[in-house]
Amino acid sequence: MNDTELISQLINGNKNAFTFLVSRYQKLVVHIAGRIIQRQEELEDVCQEVFIKVYQNLDSYRNECKLSTWIATIAYNTSINFLRRINKWETVNPDDSTVLKNLAGFNAESYETSDLHRYIREQIELLPLHYRTVLTLFHLEEFSYQEIEQITGMPEGTVKSYLFRAKAILKEKLKFVVDANSLKLVKEISNEK
Amino acid sequence: MRNEELSDILETSLKAEPEYRLSANFAQKVTLSVVKREQWRSDLSDYLYLTASLIGLLVAVSGIYYIADKELLIRIWVFLKSNLLPVTFLFITANFIFLADRVLLRLLFSKWKQIN
Repeated sequence: MNDTELISQLINGNKNAFTFLVSRYQKLVVHIAGRIIQRQEELEDVCQEVFIKVYQNLDSYRNECKLSTWIATIAYNTSINFLRRINKWETVNPDDSTVLKNLAGFNAESYETSDLHRYIREQIELLPLHYRTVLTLFHLEEFSYQEIEQITGMPEGTVKSYLFRAKAILKEKLKFVVDANSLKLVKEISNEK
Repeated sequence: MRNEELSDILETSLKAEPEYRLSANFAQKVTLSVVKREQWRSDLSDYLYLTASLIGLLVAVSGIYYIADKELLIRIWVFLKSNLLPVTFLFITANFIFLADRVLLRLLFSKWKQIN
């Protein structure tokens, strides 16, 4: 079933079509909301709020953009509003002690690639809100720059700049971690703590 | 490790799904929640329509009586005015019972089912 058929089924009041829509787009919503709010315990409520808004505003959906872009916009705005409600707006998590601890057990001579993947995933969570949002939308959900502009309201240039900077930060951290000398330094600092 | 290898690792990691999860029956739960909300709205609008229809009917009957038997209507009006407090109480009670029957009890049962 394509999105147009799905929407017409929903407007006709078919509840199974709504279950189908939720199943189809729940990963998209959970990725966006999860990366923005970073709270597993409240994630389900936020995602539920997103889909209820989707249902209530179906009449206002125009085929000008893809359904996924429209749902992603609702997910982004709902998650940002959630952060505003709990007064966590624009806070950057500066506490990377957990990641440092994980690094202390890291062996530069015999690490696995999966360790590096895990390390990068942890580092993405420590990035500022807008950086991790555009990374998720561009790399994970494969939205175009124009679509990200539509979802977040950020100009295309800003989106590109955030993407570039976020990747540069992550690459620097990755370089640092595979360098044995740097790692030794981290272990020393970690032991001092 | 070479720069290209690092770039490859980075690209792969960026495409990896974060570890946030929803419950297995999330889609069913959301649908149920939407159905309940719709039910509650529909029950409330039914109640409002029925109340408005009853009041309209009462006004229409009063209008007919006003033309047919003005005296009787005036007597009813005097009776209502002299018993304003009990009549108001009766009207509010009847209206509340109607609201409970059409809306509140259904909502209560649905919540109770959800808890059990």
